Amino acid sequence: MSIALYRIDDRLIHGQVVVGWGQPLDCAFIVLVDNEVRESDWEQDLYRMGVPPNLEVIFASTVEVAERLPTWEADGRVGILLVGDIDTATALCANAPQVKRLNVGGIHHRPGRTERLRFVYLTDEEAAKLRQLAAQGVEITAQDVPTARPIPLGEFT
Amino acid sequence: MTPRLGASLLRLFAVQGSWNYERMIGLGVGVAEEPLLRDLPGGVAGPAYRAAVARGARFFNAHPYLCGLVVGAAARAEHDGASPEQVERLRAALTGPLGALGDRLVWAGWLPFASGLALMAVALGAGWPAIAGFLLIYNAGHVALRWWALRAGWAHGPRVAAALHDAGLQRAVAWTGPAMALATGAALPLVALHLAAPFDDWARAALAAAAAGGFAVLQLRWPAIGGLRLGLVLVAAALVVGWVWQ
Repeated sequence: MSIALYRIDDRLIHGQVVVGWGQPLDCAFIVLVDNEVRESDWEQDLYRMGVPPNLEVIFASTVEVAERLPTWEADGRVGILLVGDIDTATALCANAPQVKRLNVGGIHHRPGRTERLRFVYLTDEEAAKLRQLAAQGVEITAQDVPTARPIPLGEFT
Repeated sequence: MTPRLGASLLRLFAVQGSWNYERMIGLGVGVAEEPLLRDLPGGVAGPAYRAAVARGARFFNAHPYLCGLVVGAAARAEHDGASPEQVERLRAALTGPLGALGDRLVWAGWLPFASGLALMAVALGAGWPAIAGFLLIYNAGHVALRWWALRAGWAHGPRVAAALHDAGLQRAVAWTGPAMALATGAALPLVALHLAAPFDDWARAALAAAAAGGFAVLQLRWPAIGGLRLGLVLVAAALVVGWVWQ
C-alpha cells in the first residue's frame, strides 16, 4: 500500500487517528510532519507514548518529506501522514507535489478563528490558503472519522 | 498531598461537564488548574496568575481521567518560570498522547474489562452485588488514575514524559487490552445464554441467526454500517415486530 490518509489535525497523534482511522485502515506507520517536533526529543517521546507498540511513528520536517515520501508511498504497509496546521500542509504540498488529497480532520479554536464545522475553526487567511491549495489541484475534504461524510472544501470555506 | 492538589482533584471531576466544540475540555482543565496557580508571584491579583489561568483555559482535549497530568505539569511549568510558548507546546504535545493512552487504557481497557466481569457475574446469578461490585471496582480504578495523573504531572512538570514511562502504567496499558478481550469474550456467550433462557427454542434460533447476520453485516459493510447504527436498526425492528405481533 502507501500513504492512505494525508490529514491536517492540530492534535496530531490521538485516539481518533490511532483507533478511529488506524484500525480500519490497518495502519502500520504514522508520519508526523512538523518542523518543531522533528527537533524536539521530549515531544517525540510524548507522541510515541500515544501509539501501540506495533505502530511505527516517523518524524519528519517539511523539507525531509520531499526526499522520503516516495519511500513511504512504496512501502508495502499502510501509513497515515499527519500535519498540525495549514501552513505545514501548504509546505508539504509545495515540497511534495504528488500529494493530491488532504483530509481536514481537526483544526480547533484559537483567537481569530471562526467556526466552519464543529471540528474546523479557521481564520479567513487560513480558509484562503486551503482554497489556494484546492486551486492547485489538491482535493480537500473535512472528515473527522471514517464513518462521517467527507465534506467538500466549498461547504466549509 | 497539599490542599491545593486536593482542590484541583475535586475540580477535575467536573472536567467532562465543561466539554464544548470550541475548547473541548480546555475550560474544565483551566478551572482545575486554577488552585495550583494561586501561589504564583503577585498572587491572585498579579499578572502572572491571570495570564496563566487564561492559558490554562484554552483549547485542550485529552482523556478526562488523564488530563490531571497536564493540569499538574502545566501548573508546575508556570511555577518553574517556563515561557508562555513552552507551556503552550507542553499542552499541545500532551493533547494527543494523553487521549490515545487514555482511550487504550480506559475506554478500550478498564471500562469494558470491568463491565465484562460484571456481566459474567450477573449471567452466573450474582444479581445486584455484581452491579455494586462493578461500581466499586471501576470507580476505584478511575479515581486512582486521576489522582496519580495529577500528582505525577505536578511532580515532573515539563519532564512529564518520565511519568508516562512509569513501569506500573506501562504494565497496565499492556495488560488491560488482553484482559478486556478475555472478559468481554467470556461474557458475551454467558450473557447470550442468560438473556435467551426464557425464550423457546425457535426464538433462540432466531436470536442466534440475527446475531450471526449482524456480525456478517458489520464485517462486510463497515464503516458504512457501524455497531451503533445496526443496533438501533435491530431495536427498531424488534419494536415493530413486537407491536405487530400483539
